[in-house]
Amino acid sequence: MEINWLKVLGILITPVIAFIVGVTYGGLTRIITARIQNRFGPPVTQNFWDIVKLYSKKTNIQHGVMQHLAPVFAITASITTLYFVPVIRESTVFTNLSFQGDLIFLLYIMVFGSLGMALGVGQSGNPNGAIGVSRGLSQMVGYEIPFVLAIVAIMIQFKTTNLNDLIAMQNNFNHWIIFQSPFAFLAAILAFLGMMGYAPFDVVVAPAEIASGPPSEFGGKYLGLMMTSRSIFTFAKLTLFTDIFLGGAGDFVTLVIKTFALYMIPVLTGIVNPRFRTEQSIRFFWAWPTVFGILAVLIVVW
Amino acid sequence: MFSISGIFITTFVSGLVAFLLHHSVPKIRDWFSIVIMGVIVYAVWELPVKANLLSFKLANYNLVFGNTEYGRLFALIVAVLGFFAILYSKDFMEGKPRLGYFYMAFFFSIGGMFGIVYSQDLISLFFFWEIMTWSSFLLVIYCCKEAQKIGLKYFVFSAIGAYSIMTAMVVLYSSIGSLQFADVFAGFGKMDFWSQLLVVVLLLMGFGVKSATMPLHVWAPGAYRITPSSFTAIFSGALSKMGIFGIGLTLFKIASATGFYPWVQEILAWIGALTALFATFYAVFATDAKTLLAYSSIGQLGYIVTGLAIGTPLSIAAALFLTVMHAIFKGMLFLATGAVYYRTGTTDMTKVSGLIRKMPYTFLTALFGIITVSGVPPLAGFSGKWMLYESLIQSNHYFLVVVIFFSSTAAFLYLYRYIFSLFLGQEEKETENVKEVPWLMRIPMLLLALATLVFGVAPGLLLHPVSAAMKYLGDFGVTYQTSVLFNEWGNKVDMLTVANTIGVVFIIVTIIITIKGYRSTRYVTTKDIHTSGEVPTENENLTYAVDFYKPFERALGSVLKASVDKIYNATGRILEQSFDYLRYVYTGNGQTYAMYVVLFLTILVVFSELIFGIKL
Amino acid sequence: MNLTPVQFVAIPLFAAFLIPIVAKISKEAVKYIPGIVFLYLAYVAFTLFPKALEKPIVEIIAGFKPPFGIVLYFGPTAAFLVSMVMVVGFVIWLYSFKFIIREPSEKYYMLFMMLITGATGIMLTGDVFNLFVFFEITAIAAYSLTAFLRDKDGAEAAFKYLLIGSFSSTFFLLAIALIYSNTHTLNMADLAVKMQNVDVTTKLFILILFISGLGIESELFPLNGWAPDAYSQAPTPVAAVFAGIVVKASLYALLRLVFLMFNWSEVFYLLLVLGVITMLVGEMSAMRQHQIKRMLAFSSIGQMGLIVIAFSIATVPSLQAGFFQMVNHVLIKSLLFFSAGYLVFHSGSKDISALDGLGKEKPITSFFFAFGALAILGLPPFSGFWGKMFILMAAGNSHLLLVVVLILISGIIEAVYYLRVISRLYFYKETTKEVRRTPVSGLVAMGILTVLIIILGLYPNTILAYLKPAANDLLHRTEYINAVLGQIHL
Repeated sequence: MEINWLKVLGILITPVIAFIVGVTYGGLTRIITARIQNRFGPPVTQNFWDIVKLYSKKTNIQHGVMQHLAPVFAITASITTLYFVPVIRESTVFTNLSFQGDLIFLLYIMVFGSLGMALGVGQSGNPNGAIGVSRGLSQMVGYEIPFVLAIVAIMIQFKTTNLNDLIAMQNNFNHWIIFQSPFAFLAAILAFLGMMGYAPFDVVVAPAEIASGPPSEFGGKYLGLMMTSRSIFTFAKLTLFTDIFLGGAGDFVTLVIKTFALYMIPVLTGIVNPRFRTEQSIRFFWAWPTVFGILAVLIVVW
Repeated sequence: MFSISGIFITTFVSGLVAFLLHHSVPKIRDWFSIVIMGVIVYAVWELPVKANLLSFKLANYNLVFGNTEYGRLFALIVAVLGFFAILYSKDFMEGKPRLGYFYMAFFFSIGGMFGIVYSQDLISLFFFWEIMTWSSFLLVIYCCKEAQKIGLKYFVFSAIGAYSIMTAMVVLYSSIGSLQFADVFAGFGKMDFWSQLLVVVLLLMGFGVKSATMPLHVWAPGAYRITPSSFTAIFSGALSKMGIFGIGLTLFKIASATGFYPWVQEILAWIGALTALFATFYAVFATDAKTLLAYSSIGQLGYIVTGLAIGTPLSIAAALFLTVMHAIFKGMLFLATGAVYYRTGTTDMTKVSGLIRKMPYTFLTALFGIITVSGVPPLAGFSGKWMLYESLIQSNHYFLVVVIFFSSTAAFLYLYRYIFSLFLGQEEKETENVKEVPWLMRIPMLLLALATLVFGVAPGLLLHPVSAAMKYLGDFGVTYQTSVLFNEWGNKVDMLTVANTIGVVFIIVTIIITIKGYRSTRYVTTKDIHTSGEVPTENENLTYAVDFYKPFERALGSVLKASVDKIYNATGRILEQSFDYLRYVYTGNGQTYAMYVVLFLTILVVFSELIFGIKL
Repeated sequence: MNLTPVQFVAIPLFAAFLIPIVAKISKEAVKYIPGIVFLYLAYVAFTLFPKALEKPIVEIIAGFKPPFGIVLYFGPTAAFLVSMVMVVGFVIWLYSFKFIIREPSEKYYMLFMMLITGATGIMLTGDVFNLFVFFEITAIAAYSLTAFLRDKDGAEAAFKYLLIGSFSSTFFLLAIALIYSNTHTLNMADLAVKMQNVDVTTKLFILILFISGLGIESELFPLNGWAPDAYSQAPTPVAAVFAGIVVKASLYALLRLVFLMFNWSEVFYLLLVLGVITMLVGEMSAMRQHQIKRMLAFSSIGQMGLIVIAFSIATVPSLQAGFFQMVNHVLIKSLLFFSAGYLVFHSGSKDISALDGLGKEKPITSFFFAFGALAILGLPPFSGFWGKMFILMAAGNSHLLLVVVLILISGIIEAVYYLRVISRLYFYKETTKEVRRTPVSGLVAMGILTVLIIILGLYPNTILAYLKPAANDLLHRTEYINAVLGQIHL
């Protein structure tokens, strides 16, 4: 079998790029948050150094094999998701494996990491962790409805479940799905708020209440790996949304612009909002976002 | 050498022999059962596929038995799962009372299921259906006094189902004059509208009881909980599939000939989806592991029903694929739960926690089980779900797919709770001495777990028999390769690539993180945790197990309060009350009885014109 | 000796008279007489059966040709019913062998033989007055047997039975008087011809009297008030006799008369409705009974309702089904009564709640009860399954879907109360008591029934071949008339 070395290169460097972009976005978020709160905030590279520090910790504590593997699950899911999302349109290097999977597969592989994390958290024996997981899963059930409605609306409108086909159809600015199916975008972006876990949907970690919840028993290399995974995953999710709604990206600059714009939505929402209780956020998702989703589907059907 | 009658006779006679062995030489009872079951698996595998293998005339009816690809699929589920369950039973059931009875009922219900899948006419199907019902009923009431009420409910609902089928048979026989499948399938289209409608509804109802489709599911949670786990695996894994088997036949062989077929499909699909949804909700709030799995089972069967009802090639493939998968993963999960019960004596999720280190193999089984149920790749559950969603979307069932997707997401809740409560969380003092279960119990669990992985990477292996079975149901063809699934728009998922990616990344990162700081990593107990300065004592168990999904419960509000079960119970009570009053018609007073006689005579005389058309 | 149908009546009668005499010599010897009688008569019945299938055997008593003389008609129906009575009678005798020990057994056996005389007489006779006589013999024997234990409850039950029974006799006699005054004949075949000339009002009144009179003994609702008490207070084998022989005989009498003289569709419709009501009321009342034998009695009523339904559909398959169900009911209900008898005997109480945990204490008897319960619910592979299915199919073929549904509903009710008892037997209490043995003769009796039930369940063809002629015989009166009177054109 002939090996396409460009593809191999893509597979090797995509996670690295994703990590860098993700970490940078994380740093920027902290600065923006600080500025809005009238502070200066840490430098952009702060998150990166945090991760480096965590990896080089002298002591690492674990409660069992499931906890040991939990961050591995998480990062596996993040990287796999990334591989199946076309990063740059029609690029040999950056489409990776995206022809081998489709949207529904992506929806499921994205859960893989959460499941692994939840198991690890469960083994740690920390009640706060379990509470966090319970909340997180409940909340996920909340935002899943509008999100699926949006995805379904798009899939039936364009009669494909493959991301590359979707991108190919949005080759022109006015073909972007955000304009073609605005309600689907609305529903999806509201669900996206929940997915990202910023306020008002940050009851899962709720630092002051359940001591950060799920990650509270993780430290050292484990926390480092989790943060790495989180950065990659953020980038993967943003790219996915860009691909679906904003026509993907032909080059890196476009990609960064589009993803950053998308990223600012949950970040800015988060800064100015207090925290919902779990049932409140579930009810929120089942109200307007769901209505938007249903509208999106109905519009497509007619 | 492999004949249907041979399979029947072996199964039923072995039941009797096992019973007798229990009362004479109990030592060889278990091994006898295991060996026989192994032989049966082989026989079922080797049995040639032919529509008419055995036929004879009994009481004016032609009874025909044959092996179709469709039947064979189900027969293999029954046989293989039966073999695993009986392997598991040897240690699991050891020392329990009435083991002869257990094995007899076990073999009889297996035999009943073979009869159902091999029968080529409705009479023999019904005959064996009832055998399956009462033998499984015997196992439901096997355990204890508590089981009696549950058993009764099971039987009453089964009877309602069976009698629906019977009524349908009566209607069919009176209009077609034969109950052989060949004649029924051919002649059904010519029947009049109302008879057709009646037959289809009755058949679906009848089979729907066994597949625990809402609102006929109420027997299932209790019955699944109370049966010994080794049989629950069969109960949920194979026995409920008999309902699916029947629904498949009804839909594609009978209902499809009618004018109202699209309506039946649509309604049934929604019933399936709502079953999945509500069952998932109930499962989320269950506190007993087996009840949880029971509701989960109801929900999963809901998907299968929906898949069948949609009736596109892909959806049928999905349904049959999920049928096999459900048998595998529900078998695993019930066996794993049984293992927990075997060692701790309870399946209450609020009472057990932290078994992972004591029972690693069981945990692994449970883990594979929940990953498969949830449909997360790379295990086999995903392939089934993927096909189901794709087929729903491509057949324009937009809201249906959302409901299904939603219940499938909500399934994560109960699945996590299941594995968390039993295996994760803090380790307890009471379970300090718990050991892993014996190897005979481990082997079936691990083999099933392996199957989920194999079929996950290569769903085509399973789609091969599935597509053969679909050929029997109608002109359905589905495209697939050994590891690649296609939807009807030509999009695909390559499970081998997926599994490879996940596997490679997972292994590399695992190696890195294990090596990195290997010396500095140390294990601490689950009591040594960050709890804001408070240190839990040895006897304190901080595992969060009670009201695990309280916020979700609050979000759902009063949705959960609706319960058909209450309506059924109330109906039952009212009926019994009224029967009780009726009892007083018989006062025990001779004079009253004499009065009845005179009254009867008088009525006949007075209303003679009304009754006989002749005035006296 | 030449085998003739008259032996079915004569030999039991002779035995009944013989028993008290033999008792003077040896009390033990008495016990064997009924057994020998049944075995012999069963042999006779099976020998004559094929002949009856070929051509009904008409035996003329005392030399007068019909319609003037007394005639015995041994057609397929009679042959079938008599064989059934003989087999069941034998099993009941076997069971009574050790069960009836407290009381002077010769009296019991004498009454038993009298009852058999009456019952076979009913099945064989071709004369309506003789029918009445045999009917009375049966009834009187039955009253006495009800009170056989000579306790307060038994006496009360027997009195009620007698009270209602005398209504039955009165109605019957009145009907016969009316018939005779209008037609001047009592031969049934002759009547079938001559009744056509009787004016319709009288005919109707006769019919009503017959239905009311014979309906009492056939346990039709609301005429069956006597049944629960009689069943539950009489000695166990007697209850089986009632369910298996008395009721079946009188139902046969009713059906024979109706098919011969009154085959209007309205009559069958009325019987159908009565059957349905009887079935439903029987099953519903059984649901909440506290005593096991009472429960069985009501279940018996319910089953009779089912059988009446089968017959009142009045087609060949339905009659066939009815006969099949008759056999089922005889076998299964006897089995249930037998096992319940020992369960009650050993638990010392008639209450169902006293049966807790008897499954361990008396495993074999309990097994027989459970077996019978599953069989009567119509579960395969027991014979009850086919009986129920034949009836349902027959009803379906006559487009009586509502009846089908009602039968099935009553089946569900039946399931509930039987399964409750099974649960109690096996699961309510773990007893550590010794296993107690039921006498061998009782076990053999139950064993025979069990084997028969299984054989019929797995291979119903065993008797089906005989049922079709029986159904035809009952349904088509022409053959009957022709056989008795010679060729007469209607």
